[in-house]
Amino acid sequence: MSTNSRVHDIGGTQGWGEVPYDPNEPVFHNDWERRVFGLMFQVLPHTAKRPGEFRHALERLAPEDYFCPDGYYGRWRAAIEVLLDEYGHVDKVELDDLLGVLPGTSPGHRVAKIAEVPSENLPPDRLTRKPEHRTVRRELEESSRFQVGDRVVAMGNSGMGHTRLPEYVRSIPGTVVKIHPAEVLPDSTAHNLGERPQHVLCVAYHAKDLWGEAAEENVVINVDLYENYLEMETEPS
Amino acid sequence: MNEHEHHHHEVDPKTAEVRTEALEDLLVEKGLIDRARVDALIERFEHDLGPMVGAHLVAKSWLEPQFRDSLLDNADRVLEEEDIKGAEIEHVEVKANEPGIHNVVVCTLCSCYPWALLGLPPSWYKSPEYRSRVVREPRKVLQEMGLSLDADTEIRVWDSSSETRFLVLPERPPGTEELGLEELAQLVTRDSMIGVAKVKAL
Repeated sequence: MSTNSRVHDIGGTQGWGEVPYDPNEPVFHNDWERRVFGLMFQVLPHTAKRPGEFRHALERLAPEDYFCPDGYYGRWRAAIEVLLDEYGHVDKVELDDLLGVLPGTSPGHRVAKIAEVPSENLPPDRLTRKPEHRTVRRELEESSRFQVGDRVVAMGNSGMGHTRLPEYVRSIPGTVVKIHPAEVLPDSTAHNLGERPQHVLCVAYHAKDLWGEAAEENVVINVDLYENYLEMETEPS
Repeated sequence: MNEHEHHHHEVDPKTAEVRTEALEDLLVEKGLIDRARVDALIERFEHDLGPMVGAHLVAKSWLEPQFRDSLLDNADRVLEEEDIKGAEIEHVEVKANEPGIHNVVVCTLCSCYPWALLGLPPSWYKSPEYRSRVVREPRKVLQEMGLSLDADTEIRVWDSSSETRFLVLPERPPGTEELGLEELAQLVTRDSMIGVAKVKAL
């Protein structure tokens, strides 16, 4: 199976089987899934409060926890356990004992540490009007550096911090098709480095540019990218 | 390491059940959560939310061309006018299917989804199989899921990598000319608004 460098970043990876499709599946399959879902909303205010922080906790899980046999809500439960330990509510060693698992086996023992993200890798912060309600959207005075129709390439940030740049589009040229409202930059907020709000651009990629000549015909993949991930494409040689 | 095999292991519900219960008891004991609020939240998401909100928007678009234009042009304004609020719809874009164009939505990096319009996402939408494959071979994936598209139909995949959420506006099926808003809305499935199915007349 092909994999990308980050456990969660699986767009375009190969070797997976059929989609486990059931048009009539229930919202929750078991009562414990319900409970995990409900718990999460009260755990987050005590732990991962910043935009991108909870996602990054999921992304840092060991592969056996990210793709755990308990599925999506099993992954959430693992992230809850990690966050409780990291925020000092329940130490992972104590958690092993309290949850009745073998010592040293809860997900907190395997999770990747939060990577150091040098702030010079990020675009400068800028002041924006504080919104009246909780939102990731911000109003920027400057318009985007890019326009609809521009040919762009996403290079993104180096390092293993949180990002919303999918690996499969990195360094591939695409075309800006829409400019969405600006948002705080999750690569920064997840690491507590400020909002650094960015325009968000929808970039369209031809399947053949992403996957080569064997790609399906007549397919366009649209990806939303924060402005600082992008550079203007250099003239094709 | 093979994630694929992990994913298909049989789940032992007892283990998951016991462990989740222990975790919940611990959180209550620590004073971090309130069980009644957990119950209320589950109730709201399981029973009050669902694809009917999105289905209403779709059916209304089929009946009122002006409404359709507004929804495609500025969904945020329409949601505000319709007083539709809730989780995961801070900025919504609606993409219309039409002859020769088919839209389908995914989140390859996690499982982003317009909760307040469609309810909580189904497992298959969150599965690594869907997330990895629908950007590389959408025509094949859709066919496996029961939707065959002509070779000359352009497929537009929308990867929800920012906080923008996407809703597909499916085509109105033939044979529904006599139906009103409520009857039409009942035909509109969740999967047709994700873009993995078409709406069928009964």
